[in-house]
Amino acid sequence: MLEISELRKRFAGGPGAPEGKLALDGIGFAVRPGEMFGFVGANGAGKTTTMRIVMGVLQADSGSVSWQGRPLTYDDRRRFGYMPEERGLYQKMRVAEQIEYFGRLHGLSGPRAAQAAAALIERLDLGERRGDAVESLSLGNQQRVQLAVALVHDPEVLILDEPFSGLDPLAVDTLATALQERCRGGVPVIFSSHQLDLVERLCDSVGIVSSGRMVASGTVAGLRAAEGGMLRVVVRDPAPGWADGLPGELSAEDDRQVLLVDAAGDGQEILRRAMKAGHVEHFGVEQPTLTEIFKEAVA
Amino acid sequence: MNALALVARREISTRIRTKAFIVSLLVTVLLVGAAAFAPKVLDRPDKYTVGTVNSQRLPLEAAAPDIEFAWKAFPDEATARKALLDGDVDAVLVGGAKVLTDGEIEQELGVLLQSTNREVKLGASGVRIEPLRMESVGADSRYQAARTGIAVVLVLVLFMLLIGQATMVAMGVVEEKGSRIVEILLTSIRPWQLLGGKIVGLGALGLVNLVAILAVGVGASVGSGVATDFPPGMPGIVAGVVVWFVLGYAFFATLAAALASLVSRQEEVGNVMSPLTMLIMITYFVAFYATSEPTGTLATVMSMIPPFSSMVMPVRMAAAEVPLWEVGLAFALMAVAVVAVLSIGAKVYERAVLRTGARVRLGDVLRAK
Repeated sequence: MLEISELRKRFAGGPGAPEGKLALDGIGFAVRPGEMFGFVGANGAGKTTTMRIVMGVLQADSGSVSWQGRPLTYDDRRRFGYMPEERGLYQKMRVAEQIEYFGRLHGLSGPRAAQAAAALIERLDLGERRGDAVESLSLGNQQRVQLAVALVHDPEVLILDEPFSGLDPLAVDTLATALQERCRGGVPVIFSSHQLDLVERLCDSVGIVSSGRMVASGTVAGLRAAEGGMLRVVVRDPAPGWADGLPGELSAEDDRQVLLVDAAGDGQEILRRAMKAGHVEHFGVEQPTLTEIFKEAVA
Repeated sequence: MNALALVARREISTRIRTKAFIVSLLVTVLLVGAAAFAPKVLDRPDKYTVGTVNSQRLPLEAAAPDIEFAWKAFPDEATARKALLDGDVDAVLVGGAKVLTDGEIEQELGVLLQSTNREVKLGASGVRIEPLRMESVGADSRYQAARTGIAVVLVLVLFMLLIGQATMVAMGVVEEKGSRIVEILLTSIRPWQLLGGKIVGLGALGLVNLVAILAVGVGASVGSGVATDFPPGMPGIVAGVVVWFVLGYAFFATLAAALASLVSRQEEVGNVMSPLTMLIMITYFVAFYATSEPTGTLATVMSMIPPFSSMVMPVRMAAAEVPLWEVGLAFALMAVAVVAVLSIGAKVYERAVLRTGARVRLGDVLRAK
């Protein structure tokens, strides 16, 4: 298990802001093997800073990161896969060569690195571009190479900063499938994203970060349950005043009336009233989307 | 293979196949080759054509066996004058008493004509003169011209290679820092491995360049015959150049890497490197001066002080005989300087290379814990 606890980080200020900027204010969360953890938050909330600290690129002022119960070491990190926010590849190096090179830096032997690179090129649909210089690739393909670089040494943990940004839906699927495979193999995966529908679809658990603090985290279902659903009732041609005295908000759409009410209340009473008033077209509890939970959490 | 070697291998394999590397190697090698032939082409002609009008030939060949003479007899002075103006002959001996030339006579030819003429006339009257025996009591200066020539070529080659390779190291460091590749690299290898690999790899390429230049230079000199003027101990001079290049490169390249790690954009490299460029330029100027005054006080002192010694000492060694203890002392001091620069440079690099964004101040880096 990868455990991040109580991380604090203040960036040095300039002449204009002697206080500096508090980037992390005691953020903490844990990711279990085989868990895909979605890291969401507004720009500047502290996602990238957290990931950089986990990868040792940045030092925290206080707090700790531990892996399998021990403080994370340099040798542990060598077995991690990392995709930084700002993509970094050697522009003039060829695709296959580049993936192999990073594999070897992570300690793979020559033949094993070549083998791993070939498999990833196949897996990420880069076959036709294997001999091309990275600079000649489209942004989407460069991103695939970047992911391949993060995956080539069969990492024990994956830390990916915005892996899906700027990708077309097909590329998103390719990348997502590749990540899910690793995850099912027992690798904890942490990735940040602004595409909340994607996070909702892929992730077992989600952490919502705001101003350097974790404001909500847990499984998507758990967050929903905590947030509570809304009961939505649609009645066609109801008798006027049918909903008088009922909680919730009533709105009209053409000849239909829609009642939105907290699902925690007595739904059966509302249903009886609605059936008496007119033709009930819809009656059901609607789960909040991650976007709604997110907006609620960071508000 | 360890990480440092992997990094070095990448530097070599990605650069060696670029056009820039191959073209610059070919150009320098051609230039050095040409320089080896230049003395033969540019030297005063080793061949004179001498005309005669009603004259005996003078025994010029016996007086100057290194020089080739061609003789041409003219029926009268008028045809001889015309041939002179046309440039067909260098001088015409008329009636054993007068020499015609087009403008001033070549000094060497003039002296030869006068002295052989005297010798012939005296010999005819039975006087025999023993030639003077030459003996030098000072340093052997037979090879001075060749030594100076070698030193000039060396100083140019060393300067170009040192500044070229140091710049490449700086550009490479900024390429990795600016593109954040360094963030991925440093999660798999240590900063010293990355820095060391880069310096070793690019240094190896510099050595390939240097050895190619030396090989072509020596080879072409043998081919052109210039090598016959080379002083004894050439292998020692060549080996010394290689050693001094390695030391100088280690010093300047490490500084280049440390300075470059302070900035994040290629445009800033020139600016941040300017103190180093200045240092290399000064070294170059002193070394160039040393080619003409290799035993002067300035050259002697500077050939001991690092990093100037890295260029001045090999130049002095080529241009003159240098006492062994001076070479040893210079070497020891330079080696100490290299070790010091390596340890400070690696520290600066390690602390600065992950701090992207605005230029990092050297003072901040050195002070940081």
